[in-house]
Amino acid sequence: MTVSRISLQQPLSKTYAEELERRLFFVSADILDFELVVEADQIQAVNVTTSGAINETQLADKVNFIVANDVATQKLLPHKVIWQSEGRPDYQPNLFARLLEKDLAFQAAEGQVSLSEPLLQLMDGLDARLKQMAVSLLGAREYRYPTLIPTRVLQECGYLDSFPHMLMFTTRLHNDVDTYRAFTAEYQAQGGVGSFALSYCQNTDYCLPPTMCYHTYHQLRNRQLGDQVVTSRGKSFRFESKYERSLERLWDFTIREIVFMGSRDYVLDCRQRFMQAAFAFMEELGIAGHCEVASDPFFCNLDTAAKIFSQKMLELKYELRLNVEPEHTIAVASFNFHDQFFGERFHIKGEDDDWIRMGCVGFGLERLMFAFLCQHGLDEQQWPSL
Amino acid sequence: MEEHKEKIKAFLSPFFHNRQLGEDEDIFALGVVNSLFAMQLVLFVEKEFRVTVENDDLDFENFKSINAIAQLVARKLNSDGRLPA
Repeated sequence: MTVSRISLQQPLSKTYAEELERRLFFVSADILDFELVVEADQIQAVNVTTSGAINETQLADKVNFIVANDVATQKLLPHKVIWQSEGRPDYQPNLFARLLEKDLAFQAAEGQVSLSEPLLQLMDGLDARLKQMAVSLLGAREYRYPTLIPTRVLQECGYLDSFPHMLMFTTRLHNDVDTYRAFTAEYQAQGGVGSFALSYCQNTDYCLPPTMCYHTYHQLRNRQLGDQVVTSRGKSFRFESKYERSLERLWDFTIREIVFMGSRDYVLDCRQRFMQAAFAFMEELGIAGHCEVASDPFFCNLDTAAKIFSQKMLELKYELRLNVEPEHTIAVASFNFHDQFFGERFHIKGEDDDWIRMGCVGFGLERLMFAFLCQHGLDEQQWPSL
Repeated sequence: MEEHKEKIKAFLSPFFHNRQLGEDEDIFALGVVNSLFAMQLVLFVEKEFRVTVENDDLDFENFKSINAIAQLVARKLNSDGRLPA
C-alpha cells in the first residue's frame, strides 16, 4: 500500500468536507482509501491510499478538477430539518456482521447482498405498508416493470449528463457468428473473460435502471393525462464504487416508487401527504430519524453546483434519514418534486395543455429494513407489528 | 425600491419570455425556468446590487417574487449601511 499526499491547489473550507468525501472514490479507481488533511479549518490536501506507486501529478489534476468543478463552486445552504422523530432505540452494534454470522445475509459480491428469512418477510412487510399508503391515500395504480431499461430513456431523463459515474450498461456479444467464434477462441486462449470481451460487444442499447420512476415516464410518453399516481417496485442499480457498505449502500437494491403527476398543486399536495404518512409510519414503528432538504449526487458536470443549489433552495428534494447508530443516519427515502422537467422531456401534457408536473417518492427497501433491524434487533418477538 | 424592482423585472423578463409578471407572483410556480435559474438569480442579485447573499439568505421565500427579491436587496443594502435607492 502507498499513501500519497495530494495537495489542493486552493485550500477549501472544511464545511465542504462532506461534499468532497462523497466524490473522492469516483475520482479514480486507484483510490482505495483517503483522509482529508485539515489545518486551521481549511482542507489543504487529501492523503490517498493506493495499492502501489501512482502518477501523483495525474491524480492531483483529477482531484483538483473535481474540487474546482463540483465542490468549491457550491453555495452551501443552511441545514434544514423538516421532521424529527422522538424514537430513542437501543442500537444493535455490528448488526451486518451478525446477519452474516447467522447466515441471514450473504455478501454475494461488491454492493450485492443475498437475504433470507425472516429478513425477506420483514422487507416485504415494510413494502406492503408503503404500497398500501400509496393505494389508499392517493389511489395509486401499480405496475411491474422489466429489469432492463433502454439507454435512450436514461438519456432523455438527463441521467448520462448528471450521473455518469453511477451508470450501469448491460451488453452482450455482437450478434454475428464470426464474433462468437473469435470471442470463444480468445476466451479459451486467455483462460477467462477480461476487458478484451468488450471489443466483441457493440451494443449500448440497454442499461440497468437506477430507479423505477424512469420506467413510468417512458411508459406514459406522448400522452395527455389527468391527475394520477403510479406505483411500482423493482430492482435498481447504481455503481457506488467503494462507497458500497453492508445493506446501507448497495450497487443492486430494491426501490418502492410512487410517481405523482398532474397539476402543480396536485403533485405538491401528494408529496406532502405521502411525506406526512411516511413520518407517521416511522413514529408507529418507533424508529429514530429525521427528514431534511437534500440534493442528488450530481457529478462531473458543468452545471453540478447550480443544480445542487437549485434543488436545495427550492426544496425540490427531501430525504428521510434513519439512524443505524446513535450518530449515524442513512437515507432510506426521498420525496422529490420535478416540476415540468420530465413532462417536457417525455412530451406528457396535463389537462391544461401545458407540460404535466411530476413528483416521486422512492424508498430503498434494504436500507429501510436495515435501519429497522439496527433499532429493533433480530428477535422477531420484539418487533413492532406491521 | 422601485428602481430595484425595474432592474429585477428587466433581468427576469427574458427567462419568462417577456411575460408580464405580477410583483407578488411566485416565479418558480410558473414552470418556465430550468434548474440553473436559481443560481443565476442569486448571482444577478449579488452583482447588480453589489451585495453578498449569505447562506442564511438562501431561502426560497427571499427569491420567489419580484417583491421578495426587492425586499431582500433593501435589507442587504440597509445592513451594509447603504440606503436603498
